[in-house]
This record gives sequence, structure tokens and C-alpha cells, in this order.
Amino acid sequence: MTTGSNLLAFLGLVVTLLIVWRQSWPARLRLFVAQSLLLAALASTIGVLAQRRGLLLVAAVFVVVKGWVIPRVLARIGSGAPVRPVAPGRSSGITLLGAGALVVAAYVIMLPVTAAAELPTERAIPLAFAMALIGLLLCVTGRDALGHILGFLVFENGIFGLAILATYGLPGIVEAGVFLDVLVIVLIMEAVVVQVRREHDSIDVDHLRELRG
Amino acid sequence: MMLGVLLAVPLIGAVLLWRAVGRVATALHTLTAGLTLTAALAVSVRVNQGPPLVALDGFLRADALSGWMIALIGIVAALAASEAPRYLAQTTGGRFYPLFHLFVFTMLVAVSTDDVGLMWVAIEGTTLASVFLVNFERTRASLEASYKYLLLCSIGIAIAFLGTVLVYFAGIQQFGDEAHALRWTTLQRLAPGLAPRVMELAFVFLVVGYGTKAGLAPMHTWLPDAHSEAPAPVSALMSGVLLSVGVYAIVRFKPAVDVAAGPRFAQNILLALGLLSVAVAAAFLWISANYKRMLAYSSVEHIGLVCIGLGVGGVLGTAGALLHIANHALAKSIAFLVSGRIRAAYGSTEIAAVGGLMRGLPRSGALFLAAILALVGLPPFGLFVSEVMILAACFRQGFPLVASAALVLLVIAFAGLLRGGHAILYGTPPREPAMEAHGWRAALPGAVALLLLLVTGLAWPPGLGDALNRIVAIVVP
Repeated sequence: MTTGSNLLAFLGLVVTLLIVWRQSWPARLRLFVAQSLLLAALASTIGVLAQRRGLLLVAAVFVVVKGWVIPRVLARIGSGAPVRPVAPGRSSGITLLGAGALVVAAYVIMLPVTAAAELPTERAIPLAFAMALIGLLLCVTGRDALGHILGFLVFENGIFGLAILATYGLPGIVEAGVFLDVLVIVLIMEAVVVQVRREHDSIDVDHLRELRG
Repeated sequence: MMLGVLLAVPLIGAVLLWRAVGRVATALHTLTAGLTLTAALAVSVRVNQGPPLVALDGFLRADALSGWMIALIGIVAALAASEAPRYLAQTTGGRFYPLFHLFVFTMLVAVSTDDVGLMWVAIEGTTLASVFLVNFERTRASLEASYKYLLLCSIGIAIAFLGTVLVYFAGIQQFGDEAHALRWTTLQRLAPGLAPRVMELAFVFLVVGYGTKAGLAPMHTWLPDAHSEAPAPVSALMSGVLLSVGVYAIVRFKPAVDVAAGPRFAQNILLALGLLSVAVAAAFLWISANYKRMLAYSSVEHIGLVCIGLGVGGVLGTAGALLHIANHALAKSIAFLVSGRIRAAYGSTEIAAVGGLMRGLPRSGALFLAAILALVGLPPFGLFVSEVMILAACFRQGFPLVASAALVLLVIAFAGLLRGGHAILYGTPPREPAMEAHGWRAALPGAVALLLLLVTGLAWPPGLGDALNRIVAIVVP
């Protein structure tokens, strides 16, 4: 179980770093789907090896919600966006460097947790937390609504991974609530983005600068 | 059973209101708000006379602390509900009523469950239910406000989820009692054995996460936008009770963290964030050119004070903080409801565009003046008493520096708010306002809230002290 969970969490982190690196929206969306599928695989691996039937169900719902429904909604939101040329002088290098630093930070912050854990999966916990932190970074540095939503979802995925690794899944009602929440947030975001686009003819959040003081 | 009724009333009301229009909708809305208030008061009286109410195998549970919050939500929701038809008369339709009651429902669930997981789901639900209310007028500014609100609060609540996961982890690592490891009562019982470092880390995430909902600086940046752009009844609900629900979530976790990791840890964090919030609010109260934003920053100030009270703790600090939550809810909901009437009369929320309120709109002006005087903490209103309690607790628990800093900041905030209030109330009106609302129905909500503020400020009824003592027994381990 240790090898499996470590490997899957590591691959998840690699995919997360690739999301930071890539600039094109369709590629990032595909990477997000890959990350979601890896996390579902992680959940089902732990579900089988630790004999938690409930986790298999969670993994199945996760694949449907995060691997299929939400990417479809995101694709729908993104389809109206103009292809943004990468601004000159702006590369993902700095952000990648920040993401690297966050991986180190994740290990440091999670020290109390790994110290208290007596689980075969404990070594993968900081990797999942790093995914969450990088999602937060994407959210903060995102320049348009799509970047914000994607960052938020990566963040959410990282927390899901951490919950699976550290607790082998939360009680069913909480998991169900989380899925419902994420789904509704994305749908509301879509509604808001559609309106932003109508008002401003763009989903660049630089336009949202009226409220000050 | 009683808890079930309390939660069912606003939910059923919201479902029925989804399709209702015109007079039927207004009548149904009034009925739902009235029944919610009745059920809320009944529950809070009941939990203060006997053991906690429990339903669904302990999943729903209301103790004295829940009862306090339930009563507040019921009262503020009723005040806001009474103003809603007047607000809707000036705008075109939309699903205001159902979302309003859904919003109330999610807040009631958040404070009447024993399960911190369900509490999390419900608090996230408050954001989802209210985001369309913030954007109800669908202007550019309200759109921007709702976007920031949804994004920042979703991130905040996700961070709180991380904290909840870590608490759950600490629970099952130690005891393997997984069936009820997310129950607050279980955490409380098992707290001495929980891993202290993990609980500290969890508390940091919980404070940042729920603190975002509570409007604590530096996570408060969504608040002035959302509170100023939302329709007045929604602003009243958000400022009056939604922020307090965020504080409530922190209060629920604090005893377990205090026992597991020692009281200093949570204390330092809460004092630092509380002082920072008061400082930020004091500065922004001076530069707000918009009276709804001014009121929003005043909320940041008062939530900061509540945090200081909870941070210093003890009987006096905790009771003062809880009382301050109630006083602030009453005073701020009045201020926001009146601000809605001012906006309806002048068509603007800029301070420069209103002026001369005492002559232009004498009834609203007088009510606004009373609310501002209550909010700056002058006697005879209740906020004076609770602020004195909090500051006295600082001295008693050995934090004279915190008390002095808070006092200086409060004076700055006091002057800032009075300055804004003066500009609105006196001077020459820039233009003739439209007719203001009159008649006993327009005056009733304000009169009730002011009366309650006088009660908490001058003469405590016999039950109030008992209720606070019961809450302190729960929060202070």
C-alpha cells in the first residue's frame, strides 16, 4: 500500500506542476482531468487495500464529478474565451519556482501530522498537501476567472487527497456534502462568468476593479 | 422534534416560495419569517431550561450556545424579512424570497448540529444561498462583489475543511472512534488525548477558514463589497448574523484546542487577529465615502472586538463576546435596514449624495442616529455594556496592553464612524429626497431592536445572565 499510495500521490504532484507550467487552457483542463483520475485511483487503491468499501463508492463519484461533469462545465466556460496569447516577458518560470518552494513548505507544515500518523500512507500526506498549496498559488496568480476556478479545483483536489491519505475517507454525509458543494460552486461560477462576459466582453478579472476603499 | 420543526419551517417556506408570486408570495414570506422566529425563540427558551435538545441520533443538537445563536438568527431574520417587501416594491422580481429563507435555513443548520462536518457543509451552504442575493440587482458593481464573495469564501471554507480533516485525523489516530469522531461532543470528551501539534495546525486552518466567513482581517476583503452591494435586508442578515456564524464555528473548536494544546495558542491567534481587525476597520472607517461600506467596516471592527473577548477568555471575556455578538447583530441590522430606506429615497449610497437626513427624512434619520450611537458604543445601548465587559476581561486576565491598544483603536473608529454619521445626518441635503416610509409597520422593526438594545444595556431580564452563564460553561473548559 505504501508504494502504491506514494507513487500515485507523486504522479498527482507531477501533474499539478505541469498545470502550473502549461499556458494553454485545453492542455490545463486535460491535466486537471488526469489529476482527478489519479486521485480517484488513489482512493480506490486505499479502499481495496485497507478494505474500505465506502472509498470505492467515493472514488466512483469522484470520477463522475471531477473527471467528467466539472471538466465539461469548464470546457463550456472556456469555449467562449478568446485564445490568450502568452504575454511577452511572462513565463511560468517564476510560478513554477514558487510551486517548488511550496512543495518544501508542505513537508515542513505537515511535520506534526506525519509525526503523529501511524499509517502506511503517511509519507504521501505532504505530497497531497503540496498539491493543495499549489492550487492556492494558481488561484492567487490566476488572471482570469478560468484560472481562479481551476486553481480552486486543484486546491480542492489536494485536500481530497490529503483526507484520503490521512483518514481513509470522511463520513459519507460529509463527502457527499463536499461533492455537492464543489459542483454547485462551479455551476454558480459559470453563471457569474457568463454575466461577467456579457458585461465586460471578457473574463479577464482586471475589469473587476470598481469597488475600492 | 422541536429542532426538526425549526429547520423545516424555512426550508418548506423556501420551496413553496419558489413558484409563488405577488401577494401570495408576500403573505407566505411573512408567515415563514414569523413561524421561524416563533420556533427559534421556543427552541432557545427550551434549551435554557433543560438539557440540550437532540434529534436524529445526536446529529442535530442544540445546547445553550446554539440556542443563543438560533434566537439571534430568528430575530435578525424577522427584522430583515419585515423590510424585504418594501425593498422588493422598488425592484423587478427575481427569486428573492426563496433564497432569503434558504439562507436563513443554512445558518440555522450550521448552529444546530453536533457534527462539525455537517456544520462545514451548512456554512458553505450559506455562501451558495446568498451569492445570488448579493448579485440580486445585477449591476456591474454587484457582479464584482458577488464574484469576490464566492471565490474568497469558497477558498476560505475549503481551508476550514482542511482544518476539519486534521481534527478528524487527530481523533481517529488516537481513538479509532470513527463513527462519532466528527461530533463536537466527542471531540470535547476526548480532547485531552488529541495530538497537540496536530490540533494547533488544525486550529490555524480553522481560524483562517472560518475567519474568512467571519470577516476577520486580513481575510475580510470580500466583506465591504458584498455588504455594500447586497440589498439592504440581505446586508442586515450578512452583517448581523452570518459573520457571527463564522465566529460560532471557531468557538466550537476552541475548547477542544485549549484542552489539547493549552489555552495560550488559540488565545494568541485570536488576540492578534482581533486587534488587526479593529485596526483595519478603524483606518477604513475614516476613508469610506459610501455609507454602506462604512457600516461594513464597522462590522469588521465589532467582530474584531468579539475575537478579542474570546481570546482573553474567562467568564467575563467569553460572556462579553457572546453578548457583543447579539448587540452588534441588533444595532447593525437596524443600521443596514435604514440604509436601504435612505438609498431608496436618494438613489445613492455615497455619503456626499445624501446629507441633511435629519431634515430630509426625519424618521429614518432619527433611527439611523440611534443605530450609529449604539454602534460607537455609547450608553444606554447594550454595546456599551459588552465592550466594557470585554475590555475589563482584558485587564482581569492580564492583558493590559491589548486592552489599551483596543481602546485607542476604538476611539479612532468611534471618531471615524461619528464623522461619517454626522455628514449623513446634518448639513444641507444635495437634493430633495423621495417620500420616506411611514406608518407603524415601517417603525416597528427599528423600535423593537432599539428596545432590545436598551434591555441589554440597562436592565438585564432574569434569564439573560443565566443564559450567558450556561454558554460560558460550554465554551470555557
